[in-house]
Amino acid sequence: MTKRCAKPEEFTTLELMAVCGSRQIKNGDVVFIGTGLPLIAAMLAKKTHAPRAKIVYEAGFIDSNAKDIALSIADSRLGYRASAAIGLIETLGLMLQGGHVDVGFVGAAQIDEYGNINTTYIGSFEHPTVRLPGSGGGNDIISSAKRFVVIMMHEKRKMVKKLDYLTSPGFLDGPGAREKAGLMGNGPSLVVTNLCQMDFDPDTKRIRLATVHPGVSVQQVLENTGFDLIVPKNVQTTELPTPEELTLLRAIDPGGIYIPRAK
Amino acid sequence: MVEASVEDKRITLKEAVKLVPDGSHLFWGGFGFQRPPMAFAHELVRQNKRNLTIYTCGSEMDIDILSGARVASRYELAFYAIEGIGLVPNIQRRIREGAIEIEDYSNLAMALRFLGGALGVPFMPLKSMLGTDLLAKKRFRSKKAEVIECPFTGEKVVLVPSVRPDFSIVHAPRVDREGNVQIDGIKGEDVEGARAGKKVIVLAEEIVDTEFIRSQPDQTVIPNIYVTHVVECPWGSYPMMVYNYYDYDMEHVRMYYDQCKTEEGWQKYCEEYITGVNDHVEFLQKIGIERLMKLRAKKPFPY
Repeated sequence: MTKRCAKPEEFTTLELMAVCGSRQIKNGDVVFIGTGLPLIAAMLAKKTHAPRAKIVYEAGFIDSNAKDIALSIADSRLGYRASAAIGLIETLGLMLQGGHVDVGFVGAAQIDEYGNINTTYIGSFEHPTVRLPGSGGGNDIISSAKRFVVIMMHEKRKMVKKLDYLTSPGFLDGPGAREKAGLMGNGPSLVVTNLCQMDFDPDTKRIRLATVHPGVSVQQVLENTGFDLIVPKNVQTTELPTPEELTLLRAIDPGGIYIPRAK
Repeated sequence: MVEASVEDKRITLKEAVKLVPDGSHLFWGGFGFQRPPMAFAHELVRQNKRNLTIYTCGSEMDIDILSGARVASRYELAFYAIEGIGLVPNIQRRIREGAIEIEDYSNLAMALRFLGGALGVPFMPLKSMLGTDLLAKKRFRSKKAEVIECPFTGEKVVLVPSVRPDFSIVHAPRVDREGNVQIDGIKGEDVEGARAGKKVIVLAEEIVDTEFIRSQPDQTVIPNIYVTHVVECPWGSYPMMVYNYYDYDMEHVRMYYDQCKTEEGWQKYCEEYITGVNDHVEFLQKIGIERLMKLRAKKPFPY
């Protein structure tokens, strides 16, 4: 099947990020997500290439088929046509720690070159300048999902050499560290930002530029990155959304709650 | 004289809050926007309670109110924010002032700590928190979590201490006067949290006839054996939501968020909606019946 791509002026960066996220979900995957862009990405995946993906929310909604956009992971909207509504011990304990979750989606306030994540404090632990939401189920998902995908904005102060607080484990300090710590999951597979996609070098476990979004240069990515990013010789442009994906995306979030319409 | 066959555990919201001494440890029910004991939080503020320690997985505007009013000074939790809007404003300020302290765990760790308390064992093992600052850094507990090698397999596991709080506070859709609780939609960590408390106070949207509960016993998630007191409290989670009962009032939540960015704004909100009213009913009257009716769940949707 030939796939027609939309032109760069036909979509926004947030729409592209949602499409990138959705492509990380395989048909039949058990997917653990929060609200925001991951929610849109998972809903899109179910409407396109992964109709048998099961979306699980840590508050207890399982295999959700929500019709309206949820603001909270405990939002009653997620209960509409879900297969079950249980609780945290079920989702984070039996399902996730029990080894049934294929991929988790998380956000981050800071990420380092091994994919470790901070969602707790900015500033020192003793005298923080900002208190962020904390782990929530993030640490659990990142620890125990078979793989996880990070979706975040690309800024120098977020892509840092050293985290202010290590809330959730990427590859910790390199090869073998997750295994040594006793972690079950395999770690981060992809980081999607508003500038690019980054994966991880299989030997060093360090973060590596994978693709740049249309109109973005490698130089621009480097200027907005605070850690040493591995840049391979040939960096491709991110695969563009199809017109079909864009139409579906806009129908999923017609009010523009997570993806504002105007470009 | 023959004893009544059904025990009556009903008390008022004011009476329930009076039972909580300053310095108490509370399991705080609800998860995110779903079923927070908002009316209980308001009454704790009205009765000027102090130095409470709150145990919860993820809570939002409800615990921000407890922080703003200086009711709670310590929290052991995994998450707080006002989802879809931003960081909780009062807690930010109180942390900077040094008025509150937070011990951070993950959601699974907190849920297991409640399950451990409910099971009567001193700790629970899990596979989260490994390799992170959740393990390495602690705020006020002398021991927060320990890594051990499993005596059977040698694999590394984290042990977290069980929690047996003085009170568990849960807001539910339905309860009978004996204390049999039915919860629609997700249960979050309330099933375990309710069983962990030494005393359990259940607030409910409606108190139903015990015969109704007994006609569908499979729907009961907290049997009366665990429950000490029952409080009838319609719209008790407003402006957050109760599955099958009502939706959230985002306009009110946004107003709260915007106003609480400053201390003066928070004080004004507190005076207008919490300390300036006598009770929960007066608060609801202030919001207005018409506004509430618009939030009623519309079938087939649970919101």
